[in-house]
Amino acid sequence: MVAFLLRRAIQSLFVLVGITLFVSFTIRLSGDPAVAMFQGASAPTAEQLTTIRARLGTDRPFMEQYLAFLGSLLRGDLGTSFRTGAPVADAVAQRFPATVGLALTSLLVSLVIAIPLGVLAARRRGRPADFVVRVVSLVGLSFPNFWLGIMLILVFGVYLRWLPPSGYEGPASLVLPSLTLGLILASTTTRLVRSALLDVLGEQYVVTARAKGIREHRVVYRHALRTALIPVVTFVGLQIGGLIGGVVIVEQVFAWPGLGSLALNAISFRDYPMLQGTITVLAVFIAAINLVVDTSYALLDPRIRYA
Amino acid sequence: MRRALHDPSFVIGAVLILGVVACAVFAPALAPHEPGLATLRSRLATPFSATHVLGADAIGRDILSRIIFGARVSLTVGVVSVALAMLIGTLIGLVAGYFGGLLDTLLMRLADIQLSFPFILLAITVIAVIGPGMWKVIFVMALTQWVQYARIVRGQTLSLKEREFVQAASGLGASHARVMFQHILLNALTPVTVLATLGIANNILLEAGLTFLGLGVDPTIPSWGGMLADGRNYIERAWWVATFPGLAITVTVLGFNLLGDWLRDRLDPRTST
Amino acid sequence: MKHTIIALLLALVISVAAAQPAGTLTIAQAQDPQSWDPIDTFFLAWGMVGSSIFDGLVHRNLDMEIGPGLATSWEWIGDDDDRLRFTLREGVTFHNGEPFNAEAVRFTFERLLGEEGAAGPQQANYTSIDHVEIVDDYTVDLVLGSPDPVLITKLAGYGAMIVPPGYVTEVEPETFNRSPVGTGPFKVVEYVPDDRLVLEANLDYFRGPPQVERVVFRFISEPSTRVAELQAGRVDVVQGVPISLAASVDRTAGVSIVPVGSPTVSSLRFNHCLAPTDDVLVRRALAHAIDREGIIEAILEGYGTPIASFQSSMSFGYDPDLAPYAYDPERAQALLAEAGVAPGSSIQVDFIGTDAIFREVAQAVASMLEAVGLQANLVTHETNTYYNDMVPNNRVGHLYFSGWGGWTLDFDNTAYLLYSTGQFWNPCFSNEEVDALLASQRATYDQAEREVALQRVAQLSHELLIDVPLYQHQNLWGVAERVQGFTAPADDRHDLTGVSLAN
Repeated sequence: MVAFLLRRAIQSLFVLVGITLFVSFTIRLSGDPAVAMFQGASAPTAEQLTTIRARLGTDRPFMEQYLAFLGSLLRGDLGTSFRTGAPVADAVAQRFPATVGLALTSLLVSLVIAIPLGVLAARRRGRPADFVVRVVSLVGLSFPNFWLGIMLILVFGVYLRWLPPSGYEGPASLVLPSLTLGLILASTTTRLVRSALLDVLGEQYVVTARAKGIREHRVVYRHALRTALIPVVTFVGLQIGGLIGGVVIVEQVFAWPGLGSLALNAISFRDYPMLQGTITVLAVFIAAINLVVDTSYALLDPRIRYA
Repeated sequence: MRRALHDPSFVIGAVLILGVVACAVFAPALAPHEPGLATLRSRLATPFSATHVLGADAIGRDILSRIIFGARVSLTVGVVSVALAMLIGTLIGLVAGYFGGLLDTLLMRLADIQLSFPFILLAITVIAVIGPGMWKVIFVMALTQWVQYARIVRGQTLSLKEREFVQAASGLGASHARVMFQHILLNALTPVTVLATLGIANNILLEAGLTFLGLGVDPTIPSWGGMLADGRNYIERAWWVATFPGLAITVTVLGFNLLGDWLRDRLDPRTST
Repeated sequence: MKHTIIALLLALVISVAAAQPAGTLTIAQAQDPQSWDPIDTFFLAWGMVGSSIFDGLVHRNLDMEIGPGLATSWEWIGDDDDRLRFTLREGVTFHNGEPFNAEAVRFTFERLLGEEGAAGPQQANYTSIDHVEIVDDYTVDLVLGSPDPVLITKLAGYGAMIVPPGYVTEVEPETFNRSPVGTGPFKVVEYVPDDRLVLEANLDYFRGPPQVERVVFRFISEPSTRVAELQAGRVDVVQGVPISLAASVDRTAGVSIVPVGSPTVSSLRFNHCLAPTDDVLVRRALAHAIDREGIIEAILEGYGTPIASFQSSMSFGYDPDLAPYAYDPERAQALLAEAGVAPGSSIQVDFIGTDAIFREVAQAVASMLEAVGLQANLVTHETNTYYNDMVPNNRVGHLYFSGWGGWTLDFDNTAYLLYSTGQFWNPCFSNEEVDALLASQRATYDQAEREVALQRVAQLSHELLIDVPLYQHQNLWGVAERVQGFTAPADDRHDLTGVSLAN
């Protein structure tokens, strides 16, 4: 187990280098941050640009800049924002809870909806309840997230006035954005729970358990669901990347001050360190989740052992 | 095949998709108006009238015609991006799974990189460099999504290459290419097809999201995502501007999902009854 | 008798209470400029907030008139008017208690014109100032290296906002970016980037204390969400209501739309280095092909005014007699034929894809071009790429969008930067007469002479069809009923000192 974790951690390091290399390289093709500082509002002189490039260090060769970034990354330093002069790590640390909180709450919302519905559909396979759950989940899957967000704002924020339409002011303002992402994610998860459970319900040990006269409710929740959750957990792990992507859009809709808006701003200001830092932290987070997912297999399925 | 016709998932899904494909193919013949023709006089014309069956948008373009032409964009984005991702992913997965070793490790680490990289952020970074546009969106999608296919095909390859019939083929002196493509690929295609069908649905939605962020397809090309994003501010006074393209998206995505569902049930030996 | 005394006492208490600032005013705006330092920003989003935190030597009020600010008076002295002497207001302190005096003025301008200012967009506006000389504690001279007839206006905003020398020197630049200190009517108490900036009334403000206790600026980029917050009653003032939402906002009980004419104008510029728009006949044809009135009426829903030159009616140098080219598609077709442009020729229009209104305008223009037999090809760009690469390097098509603010309300700002040969955003157009006129009006303080020169530039831009000006914007503000005394600022720079809240 320890060896497994160690190997995965080392692999993750390579992943990290790959991602930072890609981001650093790509954003440097997108335009000169020295020019971007003038915001298209005043024309810089060549002399001004030279001074700024020297100060920012963007006049140095790419590999030199990249190695410097990696070097300070090892010391836990993400560099200094071109735009504000503040440490990138501070800005990222300030936004991290907002984004991750939203992502995890959405995940929770989706599971709370998906597991009971998936179980219901699987147990009533082929009957009206199954059909309704499948259709509803398919329809839910067919909504663009920004659209659902705007609709929720109109209904619950403006007409009913039950919840704040936007902002970052405490638990109440978390409801609508996490519902937006959670509902969409729940559609996929419900379908997955249903089919995974169906698979398991056909397996020998479940059939045996039933034959032994164990109550159906107990069979489903105690025996089958536990196994059925393995593909669900894998799926959820794989979805984290996609979920974070959804968070970026939903943050815009709900004025949610998370890493998404930080990254979008960084791109528009060509704030290289800020973008590198944001994406690095997100990638580490996603890699960590995937690691947790892989490890949690062992807890859910005793058949899996780590070589 | 006859059995398929009794499965509502297949029938409904196929009818929906055929309808959308027909719109895309015969758009010029079906559309009552020129989709780009802005007649400022018919701005926000109400639906269910003789001239504008589904109404007109903010600059007086016929919504029905735009939806019909929009089918082309949505289908192209959905199908081409998935086809590309599938092609790249399948090849990589096949090679990685079949040969294993260092190549496998390298390719799979590349896949890990992709998986830890939120699609939207990658899309934004890349589009900031290359600029928005339909083909660029397709490119970015393919660039980020091949991983899913690679992982599945690799997994399938790993298990298939140990199976008797593959071992037998190798033993009889079949070339690597022949074994990979004829024996393994054909068998690995099942889960890939299911994933691809669902992937098309997903990418149609992603296109809408990117257009919302201003990074999607060119606004002159009628696209459902663009119509929805543009129409969102009219929702309280001209519901039809956003609702009909939204419905078009939902219907198409639903169609692909239904087909994907049906395929999974059909092709997955464990659930077929 | 007793009752009268109580009544009098009560009245006294009430009047004292009324003088105390009360309530929280919440304003939602689209953008967070990310840094509050006056010298490294040129966003309107900064200006909306900056005028509540800082003051300039002079002050531009909501009627766009210049009056005393931190200086009580000023005069041109010296032999050739190269010295501007300011008498400063006494007894003013910064929010942190530092005194405002001649030293603060010198420090502000040396910082702006020095190395720190060189890294931002503001310095270029003030390069006419050679140096600052302190006469005494409350008298200071700006010594000019070159004439600058628009300088006084520029001292009322942005880069010329006076900053506290002690604070700026002591703290890190990032601290000043985050928690700025000025002399303005409100002081900064909290800043959560991309979320909110909280200001508190400055009771010692030299124009008298404001009437609201707190102002919260919220940053909400999605317009429909901004409007939803107003409709939900959680925000009092909303900037940038989309035209498409204006009607629904106005129908909501308790809120109304306040339109205000903006100095910002939208125009389509011609690429003079690209055939066929290098031909004046073609440019005239395109100008006749575009239905401005139709665009304003339908897309802007009347919230705009047609313009004939690239400036608003508020701008110095505006010529009211100049009329835009009439919408005349037949004439356009005739001109195209005369110029030898084959039907079906392609015209590329470049613009910024995230600008929702212009996206509609561009598509309408495309249809209008198609109506005269051309093939329109729309290309969108990201804002930064557009202004820093596409336009300066002339990598744009035949027609390309330009929206220019002209914050100085003087045609010089737009015309010089966009029409003078070799300017950053003018990689292509060149005309000797225009160059000479633009140079001449910069060299004189005679405003009558300048006006003649600038109006002539406007006429030339019309005759030569340097660009096709489209319309002057109206900005739409959504305002809740409980807000009293709010005037929507034409230049987006709020003056919130007169605003109060009804219960």
